[in-house]
Amino acid sequence: MQLGADTRGVRRRLVAATCALLTASATRSQATPRASIDEMLSDWRLDSALAYYHEDGRIQAIEPVVSVSRDFGDGETLDLNFTFDSLTGSSPNGALPSRKPQTFASPSGTSLMLAHHSYTTAPGELPVDPHYHDQRFALGADWTLPLTRLTRVTVGGKFSDEHDFLSVTADASIAHDFNDKNTTVSLGLFDENDSLSPIGGAPVPLSDYALFEKTGHKSKNGAGVLLSVTQVMTRTWLTEFNLSADRFTGYLNDPYKIISVIDDGGDTVGYVYENRPQSRTRRSAYLENRVGWERASAALSLRYMSDSWGVHSATAQLNLRQWNAERDKYLEPTARWYRQTAADFYTPWLLNSAGPDVTVASSDSRLGAFRALTYGLKFGMKLNDKFGRDDSELNLRVEYYQQTVESAVPGPGSLQGLDLYPSLKAVLLEIGFSY
Amino acid sequence: MNPGKMNLAVIVAGAMFLSGCASLGVKPWQRDVLARKDMQLSAGSIDSAVDDHLYFSKEASSGGRSFAGGGCGCN
Repeated sequence: MQLGADTRGVRRRLVAATCALLTASATRSQATPRASIDEMLSDWRLDSALAYYHEDGRIQAIEPVVSVSRDFGDGETLDLNFTFDSLTGSSPNGALPSRKPQTFASPSGTSLMLAHHSYTTAPGELPVDPHYHDQRFALGADWTLPLTRLTRVTVGGKFSDEHDFLSVTADASIAHDFNDKNTTVSLGLFDENDSLSPIGGAPVPLSDYALFEKTGHKSKNGAGVLLSVTQVMTRTWLTEFNLSADRFTGYLNDPYKIISVIDDGGDTVGYVYENRPQSRTRRSAYLENRVGWERASAALSLRYMSDSWGVHSATAQLNLRQWNAERDKYLEPTARWYRQTAADFYTPWLLNSAGPDVTVASSDSRLGAFRALTYGLKFGMKLNDKFGRDDSELNLRVEYYQQTVESAVPGPGSLQGLDLYPSLKAVLLEIGFSY
Repeated sequence: MNPGKMNLAVIVAGAMFLSGCASLGVKPWQRDVLARKDMQLSAGSIDSAVDDHLYFSKEASSGGRSFAGGGCGCN
């Protein structure tokens, strides 16, 4: 009997334990799908933005950007990003304003008479192709893997496609932490291969625009190196210093840019297609400092860059972020100053008396001397994150960008009094979402 | 300077730099401010990507913070 009572007791305990296990198992089996989905989602981060860009009287663009990243733990991360651009509007073709109307053909034209689209620029106006449109689709990925506790490698790639341009880039870098992870040194390399299929073909460099001499596809290739040192200076100060160099070779022309040929009186007598050197080497130094306070932070970056085309540029940018007392909203004003010198072969026009001595020339205003200012303001507010993360937010950003030409050479004769170097003004609006 | 001496100079300069950096920095428990998202060098990466694309298409310089490759036929 004693044994029987013990047996019943054991049986009751076994039944109770089985019920408890079954109940727990049932509870777990009900919770598992949602828990596992939550667990999976909590490992991923989403950063996204929708940007609208509008130039005064020229291009406008819409650009959605989506980036997702996953932290696998132990330093392994994966980043995937997607970008789409849609551009429409009017793009300068490189020609000068004139006292007379000027008629141009679209890039697909084989003559001024047979062009699918021709356009006429009024006297005194900057010639722009009003039918400009383009769409770009880009994908990128970066995968970071730890090699040791202090060393990690990142391999990545980028693919970008437009109807007249295809670009494939591969990159790799290695980073090592020193001094209790207060110093990080990294070295990266990239290789880029671009294929160009200009609409209507690539024009013969410096050929007469009226002859429509065009050839087929073109390509260009680039490779570069980036050496970076990041240093924790104090509990609230982080600094980064980068040195980089790259070299591009191949077809570096803009196939849609022409140059006005003028006589000594300033009258346009024709146009030729531009021609740039077939190689370009760039070097840059970049310094960034970040300083944090209890409810604020500041980022100041400085960059100096020079290239083998004779362009030297300096850039300074300051971002200041101020949080409210609850630290759930912030305002971030931004200012950027940029200045560049002209490329050696930049010229707003060619004189018809110059003859065949000219071998490289471009009137692309982006290769001229100018300064640019950007002012911006960003507002961000934190979002409730079901995973308890602290950096989910919704933000709005507005920027104003203006370019002003420097060292402008006055035009001869009839060009005097015309605005040969109109400034560029643009506004950028952006809404961002991070979760 | 021959390449061998130049390599030695680079190594010595690098060692001096790293030993100089050793006197800077913080302990792991002092990284509260540095751990904030707005103190990361990658903070605002989406904004930077949008801005860099704008500047790449309108100016002659690009890169510096990261690789200068374009991946865009706009310049």
